[in-house]
Amino acid sequence: MATDFYEALGVPRGASGEEIQRAYRKLARRYHPDVNHDPGAEDRFKEVSEAYEVLSDPEQRSRYDRFGADFRRIPEGYEERAAAGAGRGGRTVYTSGPGYGSFEDFDVEDLLGGFFRRGGRGGPIPGADQEAVLTLSVEEAYRGGRRRLTIGDRELDVTIPAGVVDGQRIRLSGEGGRGSGGGTAGDLFLVVRIAPDPRYRLEGRDIVVDLPVTPWEAALGATVPIMTPGGEVKVRVVPASSSGRRLRLRGEGMPNPRGTPGDLYAVVKIMVPKRLGKRERELFEELAAVSDFNPRGA
Amino acid sequence: MYPLTRPVRLSLSRVSVHTGLHPELIRRFAALGLVECAADETGQLWFPPETVVRLARIQRLRGGLSLNYTAVGLVLDLLDRIRVLEAQLRGSERPWT
Repeated sequence: MATDFYEALGVPRGASGEEIQRAYRKLARRYHPDVNHDPGAEDRFKEVSEAYEVLSDPEQRSRYDRFGADFRRIPEGYEERAAAGAGRGGRTVYTSGPGYGSFEDFDVEDLLGGFFRRGGRGGPIPGADQEAVLTLSVEEAYRGGRRRLTIGDRELDVTIPAGVVDGQRIRLSGEGGRGSGGGTAGDLFLVVRIAPDPRYRLEGRDIVVDLPVTPWEAALGATVPIMTPGGEVKVRVVPASSSGRRLRLRGEGMPNPRGTPGDLYAVVKIMVPKRLGKRERELFEELAAVSDFNPRGA
Repeated sequence: MYPLTRPVRLSLSRVSVHTGLHPELIRRFAALGLVECAADETGQLWFPPETVVRLARIQRLRGGLSLNYTAVGLVLDLLDRIRVLEAQLRGSERPWT
């Protein structure tokens, strides 16, 4: 990993062993793949663990400070030999500061302690499951189809089944956390979130949509076009439909891969013109004079 | 009769083969209450199929955060509770696998 070890732990280069340990513990808790299901957490956890492994060991840390990212490729005692060859006879003294190098909670008897470190002991350990949010529009959820996703640093082609609902989890087997010691990878779960839509409200698999109609369409009945996630459909407004009446279009809601699809409800919403023409006003005035309809009871 | 589902329980040796862990260690996990198990009349231990996944989680938590077994047990319980709560929040029909 290319990141600087100090940066990975978020500590200054002069940090004490205690500071390094504190930073590591905090980050390890936050990014442990069983605690944090974000697909990026596992790599972050490994990065932090590698940084800590090096910086918590005074000898490795001082080599890292001198040679940087290549510190593992520089042979042991390189400086001594270089110095001897130059005839200066200089010697490097490794200091080991107090307080780091041994931790009381690193259990020597721990049968599993080597996990996550290079060459970890023990048998195969499957990877953790991961989780990522997949936000879809109502139309995308309705139609389903293939989609290319970027999860962390990977690109995945995913087939979304038609008719996914909010909160549904799409399982991508073996696309989760990597196993160690030959263990199988975990699964990646895509949690579907359906973005709020100004036109469509979802109630489970049922879709509710406003149906704006004129007063005369509402009174006399009419067949009017309406947009649905699946395209335009015709709705028959029955005569004498007041605002709020729900007209059901059976099976026009969200598809259901495992059963009957939802219904679409068109909710009648009577609209009047903002401005009336002269003739329109006359007719409404005539209607007002003739009609004894009183929607407020009695 | 044909079995229609996976076996609903695993023997100690099956769990050991699946996880690569020594049977004694698995026995110890069971004694510590980290994994569920039931003993039959012959004293043999039987484990639910999800034990394999749970043991992986125990190993990752133990190794990755240097937790002792008591702490691993607590973390597992808390993670289970969080999972249930998150599933409720999502309003998903099915709880987590």
